Amino acid sequence: MEKAMDVEMEREGGGEEEEEETESVSDVLRDRFRLSTISIAEAEAKRNGMEISEPIVACISDLAFKYAAEQLAKDLELFAQHASRKIVKMEDVVLSAHRNEHLAASLRSLCDDLKAKEPQSERKRKKTPRKENKATTSVVHIPDN
Amino acid sequence: MTPHFTTIDFARHRDLELKIQNKHNFPLSLSMEDENNTFDPDLIHAIFKLVWTRRALERERNDVADALDCEVGAGTSKKNRQTSANGKAIKLSCELLRILITEAVQRAATISEAEGASKIEATHLERILPQLLLDF
Repeated sequence: MEKAMDVEMEREGGGEEEEEETESVSDVLRDRFRLSTISIAEAEAKRNGMEISEPIVACISDLAFKYAAEQLAKDLELFAQHASRKIVKMEDVVLSAHRNEHLAASLRSLCDDLKAKEPQSERKRKKTPRKENKATTSVVHIPDN
Repeated sequence: MTPHFTTIDFARHRDLELKIQNKHNFPLSLSMEDENNTFDPDLIHAIFKLVWTRRALERERNDVADALDCEVGAGTSKKNRQTSANGKAIKLSCELLRILITEAVQRAATISEAEGASKIEATHLERILPQLLLDF
């Protein structure tokens, strides 16, 4: 029976193998993702003076992973494609947050921060003098990581 | 644990504080240096690449099914080169996901607090889930 399965897999062009491999890569990523989520969630719970139960963190992690892999990745690709690009840029990420105004505003200001951090590439800075930057003061000193 | 703001962040913080209503309390600590506690950009990038590779392969399979002759190899065709992401976009995505987690926890904590509990449980998460999913 195994031989028959092997033959079938070869015929499919290793399609099933591919899927199995993607599954295990996906599992590894999901686990790493969960570790980060645990630390972020616990820190946030502490900030709110609460504890958070473990299965709930796992739940939030799976939810966020699913969001990242299914909604976010897909939306980013579609937005970039829509703009006839192959490279996803910051504006695509900002656009994907359009459902909530506050979220969109948060991301947009972070986007501006990141742009301001751009070292010597004066390309974008040439056209937009600092005065046009609405929410920031004129001197922007953001400490590096 | 007091958050660490620069003077610029503080100004923006105040600005946004005014805009933010009670329901949608997104974290006011928007500085990315804050808490050093966010997703690894490489991890997020890997997740995206996984998804985009899969989608590119699917597109190719569909193309092969449609086209009469197929001269292109995976990833070499101009039409079907896989989507990739700019470094800053990944960073921003990390922030987005971090905000998702913190929002979920923060909103659930509010419910939990209102009930007088000290631990966030499933029932608290349940209650905030619909609006959370609508917001993201």
